[in-house]
Amino acid sequence: MSAFQNGGAPSRAMDEDSDIEEEALAADYREQVQYEGMEELEQVSSMSMAQQTDDIQSRLAAAAQPLDFSAPLEVKFASYDNYCSLFHFILNSDGPVDLEPPSYYWAWDVIDEFIYQFNSFCSYRNRVARQGNNEEEITILREAPNTWGCYSVLNVLYSLIQRSQINEQLAAMKRNEEPMAVAGDYGSKSLYRMLGYFSIIGLLRVHCLLGDFSLALKTLDDIELNKKAMFARVMAAHFTTYYYVGFSYMMMRRYADAIRMFSHILIYVSRTKNFQKNAQYDSISKKNDQMYALIAICVAFHPTRLDDTIHTALREKYGDQLLKLQRGGPESLPIFEELFRSSCPKFISPTPPDFDNPELNVDPLEHHLAIFMDEVKTNMWSPTVKSYLRLYTTMDLKKLAGFLEVEPEKLRGWLLVNKQRSRQIRWTDNGLLDGEIVNSNDLDYAMQGVRIAPSSDITC
Amino acid sequence: MGVPFDYAPDRPEHIDAILNGLDRYNPETTSIFQEYVVQQCEEKTYDAYANLALLKLYQFNPHLTKDETITNILVKSLTVFPSPDFSLCLHLLPPHILTPASTQSALPAAGDAPLSEAVQKLNVLNNLLGQASYSQFWATLDSDDLYADLVADVAGFEELIRIRIALTISQSVREIERSVLESWLGLQSEGFDKFVNGVCGWEIEGTVVKVPLNKENEAKGTIVRENVKVDQFARVIRRAYEQPA
Repeated sequence: MSAFQNGGAPSRAMDEDSDIEEEALAADYREQVQYEGMEELEQVSSMSMAQQTDDIQSRLAAAAQPLDFSAPLEVKFASYDNYCSLFHFILNSDGPVDLEPPSYYWAWDVIDEFIYQFNSFCSYRNRVARQGNNEEEITILREAPNTWGCYSVLNVLYSLIQRSQINEQLAAMKRNEEPMAVAGDYGSKSLYRMLGYFSIIGLLRVHCLLGDFSLALKTLDDIELNKKAMFARVMAAHFTTYYYVGFSYMMMRRYADAIRMFSHILIYVSRTKNFQKNAQYDSISKKNDQMYALIAICVAFHPTRLDDTIHTALREKYGDQLLKLQRGGPESLPIFEELFRSSCPKFISPTPPDFDNPELNVDPLEHHLAIFMDEVKTNMWSPTVKSYLRLYTTMDLKKLAGFLEVEPEKLRGWLLVNKQRSRQIRWTDNGLLDGEIVNSNDLDYAMQGVRIAPSSDITC
Repeated sequence: MGVPFDYAPDRPEHIDAILNGLDRYNPETTSIFQEYVVQQCEEKTYDAYANLALLKLYQFNPHLTKDETITNILVKSLTVFPSPDFSLCLHLLPPHILTPASTQSALPAAGDAPLSEAVQKLNVLNNLLGQASYSQFWATLDSDDLYADLVADVAGFEELIRIRIALTISQSVREIERSVLESWLGLQSEGFDKFVNGVCGWEIEGTVVKVPLNKENEAKGTIVRENVKVDQFARVIRRAYEQPA
């Protein structure tokens, strides 16, 4: 069945009530618990859990509810506590909890919302520290360094993965064996299996948000990216997975692989567009545009033929920008920056900010952007070089340098760079980090003294 | 065949075990990773995936950070340019690390200004290598004593870089003027002859150096061919039926 109905969840602004109701519970619970980083899940007294089991179904449902972005700090804290107690209940009761997830997309919604709140909390905390003018909130945040801490968030995700033996199950499925044989007491229950599975996708996302792109891709080792994958049943999960995998590839300069990922999911979305008239449509359509922008960036780095559907849509949405990107040179830099800013994930810094030195709390986006722009600058003359070389079968280097009004030494550098960057690692088989070096240039050349000898190209 | 990013041929078993388990997040493994970095520097081996794991531990536990280890990791990653390793390491460092010194020195408590300065200096080298401005790379490396300090721990740094430069040259060049190659390799006279003949196996003929043909520098015309399978057309065919004329 199609997975598009799970937009039934109310939109962000509507659900503050349920959070406020839970605040009382959370406050009560917070008194009993001493937080200390990773141990906090273990330290929760399970007595309080037992009292709450009767309303567990409503808590399961609440955990999947979006929190309003502008919710006050107390609500954000309370929400964190709610997640801790819920995950503690699921992970640390005596044996597996006997519960059916409210729906088949519930597990995704919970993990998605959990990470979304972690993400927005970290961004918010960093912003408060950077602006440095809200003393009250600074005090609250300073005193609770472990709330929404990266260690607790990772602990939840890894614990769910381990409990459910999901990696073992997926590995068994890959070998065409029965996953239940390795699932264990927990993993054989759909609640744990689904939470474990989507926690893997959650890890992909968290690593990417923290700037660890290779680990992000490594996390998906046991998941096969195809339409039969479990995530494909939940549209939002499907979409998110490809966005983060594509983005991570782009940051590892594997543009061909990034384009492949973005194209795959965008074609899928374009085919199912008519089904998506629901609350999720807005967020999907925003991510959709972001991925087109990222494709534009990748194509500029790595000119290639796109699927017709993608190409047409790309020209509609980003026609002017794409042209400038493909032309290269200094004029392309602001476009690269603009598109990167608008379509990258909301990067976070994992540790509490330095409240005493607001200026030190640079937005992580600026950091990652700066690194990315260095790579853009390294490459920006490749289009120029190519456009000239296309016209000749041999060319005098000094003459070309004259045309371009640069020193021959600079031009030699550009030629070397273009040649290097056209060699790319491209995935063929096995894990996402695996791949083979492929020469993607449609225009090859070599330098012979002061002559450049391009070989003519493109036949179809 | 390609090599997966997370693979390192010389990785000891105990490191592999940590990387594959949750201990990669355990602050207590920091010292083990640090020793491994020292080992890589001394033995001219390289393990990007393990080094990134250490940088992640620093990212999560800033109080454990050792500046020297960070710069050693960055210097090691320069020796594998033009791979993205240097950038991937930078992504895991604190966000203010690349903020220009002018803004930072104005701050009263820019605690790790020396680290920040060192990282920015190394970033300059990385960009020069990335842009294939090799002669400028050597000039910059010589221009500041800080550079000598930064690369001191990495055994054979210059030799390793030179080999990578030679490798990129061999991919694009069949014949090159001696004077240009000298500036690219940062070598003259005897040292140059020895490296070019001995290590690279290229021929010096008067004022030119000839690079033997290889797969990359022969510049053969490539034929872009698309392998299209019938099922890729399934959509088109189905559309033709679905859509009323």
